[in-house]
Parts: sequence; structure tokens; C-alpha cells
Amino acid sequence: MSEENWIEVGSTDSIEEEDLIRFDHQDKTFCVYKLTDGFYATDGICTHEAVHLEDGLVMDDEIECPMHQGIFNIKSGEALSPPACEDLKTYPVKVDNDKIFIKID
Amino acid sequence: MKNNIIILGGGQAGIYAAREIRQNDPKSNIKILGEENLLPYERPPLSKDFLLDKKKAEDLYFHSSDVLKNENIEFENISINKVDFENKKLFAKNDNVYSYDSLLISTGSENKKLTLDNNLKNDIYYLRNLEEAKKIKEIVSNKNKITIIGGGFIGLEIASSLSQLQKKVIVIEIGNQLMGRIIPKQIADLVQNTHIEHGNEIILNKQIEKITKKNDDYEILLNDNSLIETDFIIAGIGSTPTVKLFENTNLKLDNGIVTNQFCETSIKDVYAAGDVSNFYHPFYERNMRLESYQHAQNHGICAGKNIAGVKTEYTSIPWMWSDQFNLNLQLTGICDEYDEIIERGNDINNGVIYFFLKNNKIRGACGVGVIGKVGRDIRITSKLTEKDTIVDKQILSDQNLKLNKLIQK
Ligand SMILES: Cc1cc2nc3c(=O)[nH]c(=O)nc-3n(C[C@H](O)[C@H](O)[C@H](O)COP(=O)(O)OP(=O)(O)OC[C@H]3O[C@@H](n4cnc5c(N)ncnc54)[C@H](O)[C@@H]3O)c2cc1C
Ligand code: FES
Repeated sequence: MSEENWIEVGSTDSIEEEDLIRFDHQDKTFCVYKLTDGFYATDGICTHEAVHLEDGLVMDDEIECPMHQGIFNIKSGEALSPPACEDLKTYPVKVDNDKIFIKID
Repeated sequence: MKNNIIILGGGQAGIYAAREIRQNDPKSNIKILGEENLLPYERPPLSKDFLLDKKKAEDLYFHSSDVLKNENIEFENISINKVDFENKKLFAKNDNVYSYDSLLISTGSENKKLTLDNNLKNDIYYLRNLEEAKKIKEIVSNKNKITIIGGGFIGLEIASSLSQLQKKVIVIEIGNQLMGRIIPKQIADLVQNTHIEHGNEIILNKQIEKITKKNDDYEILLNDNSLIETDFIIAGIGSTPTVKLFENTNLKLDNGIVTNQFCETSIKDVYAAGDVSNFYHPFYERNMRLESYQHAQNHGICAGKNIAGVKTEYTSIPWMWSDQFNLNLQLTGICDEYDEIIERGNDINNGVIYFFLKNNKIRGACGVGVIGKVGRDIRITSKLTEKDTIVDKQILSDQNLKLNKLIQK
């Protein structure tokens, strides 16, 4: 686990609780969430059709796609409600000195 | 007790009901009878990503045959043409007879057909199922100037897809706006502008007088005497519930099969769900019939619970979407019972939503915007509608104020 894999996303106060921000790195898009018990990260694009989840609704531990209401668990990435059926990829997150980092493989 | 449960109609409501029954009842026999020789599949992509070749037929199935096998749900490809409710039997064309203890009717809806006096029946195409979608896709590849009769959701989605396939598309609509009266005129106009910007021609307020075949092409005469030349015609002029089978029976019909909030019909042990059912909605205190993906799913699940003996009221707030070009349109609740309309936003790039209120509470909303821009607010609106609380209109109308503020209150 080399240090290089951790990418800085921004400061911890850049996300409101029960909300998310979009984070683009190289040619990939991620969503970084602040839930009541900490920060989480997933792929930024819905697995159903290529739609950005940044405009989706965060409720409890779930993100709901703004296009067709596919729902994913933010912590596990599990697809919970159709039309989404493929899971969303998740990424480890750490906080260091009020900065959020995600580990991209 | 081991029951024979039959699901008549192998579409979305049918498959969701079957799996829900199995979740609650490990023992009963569950058999789906479907006249399409396909496992249940999603219809929304037929007019969109399937025509655009972004999705293939095999991407559309809800579940593989393995899932059905594992859950011991049988699917039989058969068309039923007679029902005897008194003796609890269904009859197929090939003389097969099926006995049931409980029956779910989920036969969906079918396209209205144009009534033309000449012999053009086989020249006009309609879109409801995968077979028709395949045919349309194959034929349009050799056509250039396509006319779509009817400016409803499905017609417009086909118009959007064919335009993206570089076809010249004309849409003829009898009414004075697209997508009928359930969509606010302002939203219909925004969608219309997008079609026009992409090169589609939209003709409103016109009726078809006559269609004439000229070699391989067609001439469409409109009621203002104008003529349209075209080489392919698709009609999307609405649909009706598939109830012909029940017309001379005791089953209560009125714009579909009348059901209560438990998906029960007028006949004991007979349930109905999905497009075919005109169901009682306890929240709106009236009957309604919906043709939507979310409804077919949730109504199927609710019927499944009730059939398995888990008494469950259907209270889902209606929701549907339509995708055209880079736009996503969404509708929640009901938009025809209101005493006030509130507008949120005015730029399609950020999303535009109209809320329909009655006694200061939201009854429904309709929004359109570039993909992703209205979904969250429409979803929150569904939740607010369900809560049945008086809402702060200032927050509704100001796009800079987040709607979830209303929900946390
Ligand atoms: C082209 C198209 C695009 C759509 N796009 C959207 C969209 O973008 N968003 C949205 O919310 N909704 C959309 N819908 C609507 C949605 O797909 C339907 O509401 C949903 O499929 C209804 O499910 P159902 O189970 O009630 O009926 P269906 O899925 O239609 O299934 C009914 C099945 O019963 C079978 N059947 C009927 N009679 C018999 C019989 N006698 N014997 C045996 N089998 C029988 C039929 O062949 C059919 O397979 C679209 C529909 C179409 C056609
Ligand atoms: S694009 Fe996300 S659910 Fe369809």
C-alpha cells in the first residue's frame, strides 16, 4: 500500500453532511460522501447508464441516481433498487489534517 | 397449504409479483404464462437505447432463467384465450387448461391502432414489444424520411432516437401541445424546442385525412390539405389496457381491471397489477391507471405480497420518466388536481420544475432538464407529497434553496 495511491480530494468542510461532491481524477469521476459516521467514496457514474451521480440524492447510507431512481448502498456499493442491477465500485477514504484522501487502485 | 398460483402476463408486474410471492411463500407452485416467447424484459429501452444500438436484446431481461429456476418459478410461453373464473380455469389456444387457486392478471396494455379505410394495416408500425423494436430497427436502417403519428412519450422517444441515427423525422400531433395535457404546456414547449433544434419537424393541431402508398413511399394528407411525403410511418397514438379476454365475464372493468388498494379485483382470489389495472390509490382517494416502469414494479410487488397472504396497501406515489435527446423528463404524483402552480427554475440546463399544489400541499410535479438536473428535486417532491404537509413556497420556487431543507423540517 504505497502512499502514492492516496489522492487528495479536498478539505473535510467542502462536503455538507448527508451530501456528496464530485471529484475528477485523470479520466475518471468519483463521488465522495459525508455520512453521519464519516467519509466514503464510490465511482461517480451510475452503472445503469452513463449518468453522473453527483446530482443524485443522498439519504442515510444510500445514493439514488437522478435519472431512473436506481439506488446504491454508499458503503458497500451494492445495487439496491432497479433499474440499477450492477454494483457500484467503492474506494477507501482517509482523513488527514482535515483533508480527505481516496485510494484509487 | 400448497397453492397453484398463476400469473397471466409475463411482463414487469408479473415477474416482480412472482418473486415477491416466492419470498413470502416457499411452497406454492408459481407459474407465469406469457405470450411473448421471452422471459420478462424491460420495455423503456425499446424506444431509446435499443434503437440506438447502445443496448442489445440480452441486456433487457429482468432476470436470467437461472434466477427463475433457483426460485422455482415456472415460465411457460403460451397465449391464453379464454377464462372461466367460476371454475378457476384458463384455456389456451392449443387446448391446454390451467387451474389456479389464485390468479394475478398482469396482461399490460396494447397500442391503439389507426383506423384507416384502405389496406395499409401492415405498412404502419407500432412499438410495444421487442419483436416490433427489432423490426423497426432493421427497416429504418434503409429509410430516410420517417413520419411519427402521435406526439406522446413513446412517439417522441422514437423521434429522438431516429434523429440521432441521422434520419429526417416528422412528428404529427393532433393536439395543441406534445405529450398530452398531463404535461404542463411550458414543459412540452421546451421539449418541442429541443426536437426542433435537432432537426425534427413537429406539426401540431393536425389530423391525418388519408395515407396513400406510392411505390415504396407514402403520401400523408392532413386536414389542412397539406401533403407529407415519407418512406416509413410509425404510429404512437396511445394505448389501452389488455382486457379483451375478460369482456364477457363478471370481472369488473372500467378503463382496465378495477382493483382496490390491495390489488384485489371484483372476483375473489383474482388480482391485477401493472398497466392493466385501474387501482384505488388511498392517498389520492381515487382510482387511477398508470403506465410506468416504477408502478409496474411496485404494484407487482404489492400484488405478490397480498397473494402470499401479507395484506399490504398500495400507497406508492406515482413516478415516471422519459428520455429524449439530452433531456430527462420526470413526473411524480398527479398533476391534474390543483389550485396553484409553482415554477422552479427557467433554464433547461439547470432543470425546470412545475409543482402542482392543492390547499398548500404538493399533489404532484413535472420537471425537465438536461440529464441529471431534475431527478433529485423530483424525488424529494415525491417524499414531500407522501408526507402531506404544508410546504414553504419560497423554497419551492427558488432554485438556489435546496429542497431537502423542506424534508428535514
Ligand atoms: C416502448 C416503451 C417505452 C417505455 N418507456 C418508459 C419510460 O421511459 N419510463 C417509464 O416509466 N415507463 C416506460 N414504459 C412503460 C413501462 O414499460 C410499462 O408501464 C410496463 O412495462 C408495464 O408492465 P406490465 O407488467 O403491466 O405490462 P407488460 O410489461 O406490457 O407485460 C404484459 C405481458 O402480458 C402479455 N400478455 C397479454 N395478454 C396475454 C395473454 N392473453 N396470454 C399470455 N400473455 C399475455 C403481453 O404479451 C406482455 O408480455 C415504456 C413502454 C414502452 C412500450
Ligand atoms: S442511469 Fe442510473 S438508474 Fe438509470
